[in-house]
Parts: sequence; C-alpha cells; structure tokens
Amino acid sequence: MRAKRLSWALIAPTALFALAMTVLPLGYSLLTSFQEFPLGRAPVFVGLQNYRNLLQDNNFQNSLITTLIFTVAATAVEFVLGLGLALLLKDEFPFQGVIRSSLIIPMVIAPVVVGIIWRLLYNADVGLFSFLVQTLTGKSLSVLSNTSLALPALILVDIWEWTPFMFLILLAGIQSLPTEPFEAARVDGASAWNIFVHLTLPMLRPVIAVAVLIRALDAFTVFDQVFVLTQGGPGTATEVATLMIYKTAFRFSQFGYGAAMAVALLLLVACFSTAVTRAFKGAS
Amino acid sequence: MLRRQFLKNSLGAASAVALSGCGSRESRVQLTFGSYADPGVDILKDEFLPEFEKATGIATEWVEADFSGWFQKALNDGETKAGAFDIYVMDDLWVPRFAGAGYLANLEELGFQPDPDFLPTAIDLGYWPPKTGPRQPGVDPAAKPTLFSLPIVSDVQILFYRRDVFGNTPPVAWEDIARVAREHSNPAQRKFGWVTRGVRGNPIMNSFFVLLHDFGGTEFDEQWRVTFNSPQAIEALEFYLSLLPYEPEGVAEFDSDQEGETLLQGNALAATIWTGWCRQTDDPSRSRVVNKIGFAVPPGHEKRVAKLGLFMAGVAASAPHKKEAAEFLKWFSRSDVQVRFARAGGIPFKTSAFKDEQARSNSRWLDAILDAMTVGVPSPRTSDWSKVEDILGTHLNLALLDKGKAKQHLDAASAEATAFLKSVGYYAS
Repeated sequence: MRAKRLSWALIAPTALFALAMTVLPLGYSLLTSFQEFPLGRAPVFVGLQNYRNLLQDNNFQNSLITTLIFTVAATAVEFVLGLGLALLLKDEFPFQGVIRSSLIIPMVIAPVVVGIIWRLLYNADVGLFSFLVQTLTGKSLSVLSNTSLALPALILVDIWEWTPFMFLILLAGIQSLPTEPFEAARVDGASAWNIFVHLTLPMLRPVIAVAVLIRALDAFTVFDQVFVLTQGGPGTATEVATLMIYKTAFRFSQFGYGAAMAVALLLLVACFSTAVTRAFKGAS
Repeated sequence: MLRRQFLKNSLGAASAVALSGCGSRESRVQLTFGSYADPGVDILKDEFLPEFEKATGIATEWVEADFSGWFQKALNDGETKAGAFDIYVMDDLWVPRFAGAGYLANLEELGFQPDPDFLPTAIDLGYWPPKTGPRQPGVDPAAKPTLFSLPIVSDVQILFYRRDVFGNTPPVAWEDIARVAREHSNPAQRKFGWVTRGVRGNPIMNSFFVLLHDFGGTEFDEQWRVTFNSPQAIEALEFYLSLLPYEPEGVAEFDSDQEGETLLQGNALAATIWTGWCRQTDDPSRSRVVNKIGFAVPPGHEKRVAKLGLFMAGVAASAPHKKEAAEFLKWFSRSDVQVRFARAGGIPFKTSAFKDEQARSNSRWLDAILDAMTVGVPSPRTSDWSKVEDILGTHLNLALLDKGKAKQHLDAASAEATAFLKSVGYYAS
C-alpha cells in the first residue's frame, strides 16, 4: 500500500506537468471553439454555431483536401525514396560516414530557410527550374504562380527536406534486423526481390508504421514552407488547413471559429493516424 | 582579521549595489515600445529615441518582430492586459481592432490635443469610431470619435516613374502609363512598362486599391453592402489586367520586395510603391537608376487618389507607464521635432515639416508624398477588413492568373464577402 502511494507520488509531478502542457490547452481550445469574440465585448457562448459554419465553409473543406493530398503524396514519396536509400546504403562502403551525414543536411535546416532557398530556386527570373525550362523551350516558368504546379512544388520541397528522416529511421530498422533468416533464404536460393518482399518488408513493418505515422502527422501540420513560399496561393491552390487556421484566428481575429477549425483538424489527424495504425496491424 | 575585513567590505559593496539599483528603478522609468521590423521606423528608433531619452531622462526599449509576429504579440498583450508594452506601433489597419476592443488608452484623457499642423488624413486614422463613413455593427452610432492613436511615420503609395522615359512631367492619367508601357516594353531585354504586386490577399489588394478608387469604385456603400463588383470596379480590374503583357513573368507571386527590386534594377518604368523605397532609389549601392526616378501622386481616371498605410502608435490600455508614453507621443509630434525628423530623412506627419526647405532638399520625394497624403484614402475602417481583403485579394490573384474574367472574379469575391459580412452581423436579417 505504501509502495503504491510512493509510486503515485513519484509519477504525480510528471503527470501534472503533462496535464498542464497538453490537456489544459486542448480543453481551452475546445471551450474557445464554442465561443464568439465580438469587438470590444466579452466572449459569447454560441454552442455548435462555429461547427455548423464549418460544414458550410467550402474554403475550409478545400484546405482539408489540400492538406490531405499534401500529406499522402509527400509521405508516400518520402517513404519510397527513404527505403530505397536505406537499402542502398545499408552495407559498409568507403566514405560511408560523409555520404550519410551529407544526406541528412536538408533535415537540419530551419524550415523557413528551406522555404527561402526554394523560393529562389522556383523564381521565374533567376530560378534554376525556370532556367532549365527556358533553355529547353525558350519560355520562362513561374512555378509558384501556376495553380497546377504550386502544390507539387511544395510537396517537392517537403520531400527534399524530410526524406532523410525516413532514410535514417528505416536504415536503423534494417540494420537491427536479425541476419539468420536472410542467410537461410539465400542458402535456399531465394532471389533478392523475394527476400525483400517476403522477409525485409514484413520484418520492417513496425518500423515503417512508426516512420510513416511520424512523417504524416508532421506533414498534416505543415505551415512554415507554405507561409514563406506561397502564402496559400496562387488563388487557394496551396491553402493548407494550418495556414487557414492561423489566418482566421490571428489575422481576422475570429478566435472561436479558428479554434473550431483546429479541433476539426485534430479529429481528422486522429482518424488518419488510427486508420494507418490499424492498416499496419491488420497487415501483420 | 583579513577574513572579517573582506566580509565587511563585501557586505558594504552589496548593500550599495542593491540600494543604487532601487534608486535607479525609482528615478528612471523605462518605456517599452513594441513594433514590427520595417526600415520606415529606423530613423525614429536609432536617432530620435536616444534624443528623447536625453531630453526627458526616460529610458526606452524597442522590441520588434516581423509584421505577423508582432500583430500576434500585440493582440495577446492587449487581450490579456499583460502590460508587457507601453506603446504599440501599429499598421493603421489595426486601429479599428485595437481601439474597438479596448486595447488602447484614450489619448484625450492622457492630455493629448492635436494641433492644426497635423495632416488631416494622418490624424484622422487615429480616431475610433471613425470620423466619417459607416460604423461597423456593435459600435455605438452616437459615440463621439475619440483619439486612440497617433501617426508616428507617414506612409502612402506614390507613383515611381522613370524620368528619362516619361520626362520631367509625371503621368497624370492611367492611359499615359498604358501608352508608355505599350511603346517601351521589351520583355526579351527585361524592360517592362509596369510592375505590380500580385500575391493574393493584402499585396495585390494594395496594388488594385488605387485603381478601384480612381475608376470611381469603392469597397462598400454606407450600409456596408459590397460594391467591389460595380461596373467601375470591373473597368478598373480590366485596366489592371490590360497592363499584364508589359509586366515581368510571374507577377502573381510578386510582393513589394520583388516589385521594388524590379524598379531599382532598372527593369520597370513605373510602379505605385510605398514611400519606404524612395531613399533607396538614389542609393548607388542599391539602385541602378540613381536620380532617374521621379515621384508623384498616382495617376487618375475619374479622380486621383493615393492609398494610405501609416505607422500609428497608441498607448496600451495596460501600459505600466501611460503618463510617460503620452509624454513621448507629445514630444515626438511637436512640430520642431517633426522638422528635425524630416531633415534626418524620416517621413513626417505634420505640414510644417513637409514644407521645411532643408528637409525638402534632403529628400526630393517629400513634395510628392505631401500631395499623395493630401488625397490619401485609407482602407475601410472596420476590424473585419482583413478578412474581406483576403477574400477580394484571393479572387484578384485568380483574375491575374486567368489574365481576364474580371466580372466573374469580382462577382465571386462579392458573393463570398457578402456571406461573410452577413455571418458576422453586418446586415439586419
């Protein structure tokens, strides 16, 4: 009994800290989402009005779709490239340390700096992409003011920055796999492809689940690059949910509506992560 | 003995330091300014705050962040009444929000009375509710306009034009701009007749604003009904789009930095730009068109206006040093201080400073700025303008990408803005 009390007492500070840092702000956001903040007056309780408005807000629904496309496309490509790089660089080779270190450089650059670098690369006058297109076709290309290219351009930036993260996690996962099953398969004459499909992938599944989930959750909340590169434009082509929430709450001072958007995004992210987790569990 | 002596001395020194600290806190108040980073406030910050400190003995601290970051900080400080700042430096667009929500102290109660030397268009931006125009819902229609903030640096969009192309007489009509653009543009040689901001939201809206008003359009009528899809507004947008062939590729992603750089590099013949760029045009380290740029009120069509966008300053309602903050505002808005501010290269807000001979010879753009300030028009005075501006600015950006469909895009913007205004109580049922 005494030992139990002691264990509760030892856990209590951490639990209280976690409560103060996570549950309280979430609870406050939820409370805010049921309120309206008229100019110069006290907040007014409006019940579910903000959520009803959300259901009719085409712009917010479009921003959720844009966020979903961004997340799925970026995470999928990052996974494929990260896995490919991990398989390629898993064995010992000369200059291994230098090559692996240089691969993770994009990941350690601040997202705002990444945004500025790519803004220059995409620039119609001095950018690399425009130069290449001009060399080939004689016409310059303004990537970020093209409604069809702007979102893929943002996805490319995310892929450039975060593929190293996938690579690192998957490489660690591959290197931690037991060697015996692979040796046995080779002795039995299994092809490299069969080994990859029937051994590497299934054994790596828990690591893949974690890597995909972490990257997807991060991609859902992308903000810095969009803010620096496109501000959600051209038109609303790259308006992701976080940018819209930020503008609604802090630029337009609609705190209640912005909080309702944040809660809706949280629910979407929770559904998405549950679906991904179940998919991986089901497959195993 | 030695140890006792050491302890005695240490105790004495510590007490002296502690007491002197208390003394200095009591005698030397520190005013905390919060601002967004902008070269427009550099002269005030670097040259005039030290002068104020010397003149009054009041210490100052300048805290700045980027535009959005500072807006957020100031909003939090105002909302929570934290009292972290004494003076908020604001974009004039923020005044309705900050004064309306009670974040600002009443300057009249702090003993401030504006004198007639203030430019009327500048000082009027500091009143809430506004002196003219409709009042947003929730604001008492009978309430007397009260002074909540003061201009701190004037700013307005003026026409920058190439004197070696247009001659010394500035273009007075938009048709002159279009004609010269047609005759002199050569995209292959990176020579463009016009350059504009095209980024969605505030940047493109700032570019379109002058045309909208020049062509006889407005944003709202007296009942806040949206009017930016009127025939005049459509004609203005069609004209704006007709200049596109004479502009650089990708203006849809241009903000003021690209717009200004295009002009400074000698690639554009004209643009309407904020006055913060004036000084750079004559700086050989920044400009390839030194002394080639002329300044004037933007051209007109049915009328001739300029877009105001002043730096304002207000005393925080929760300021720990309201009296000293008001003292600073009184000091900085004294006409003699404003004359010195103008001579040092700042953009003043008092008529006498604009007319000072030495200031005019130091800054050859002052006359154009004074003319533009005189016909200046501010953004609509409502705290909901940012949202409407975002809606209209998004559709303007789409029109720019479509290179047409002016009516279709303005109708769509109007419908969306009307729905928004209705949802926040602008129209009775």
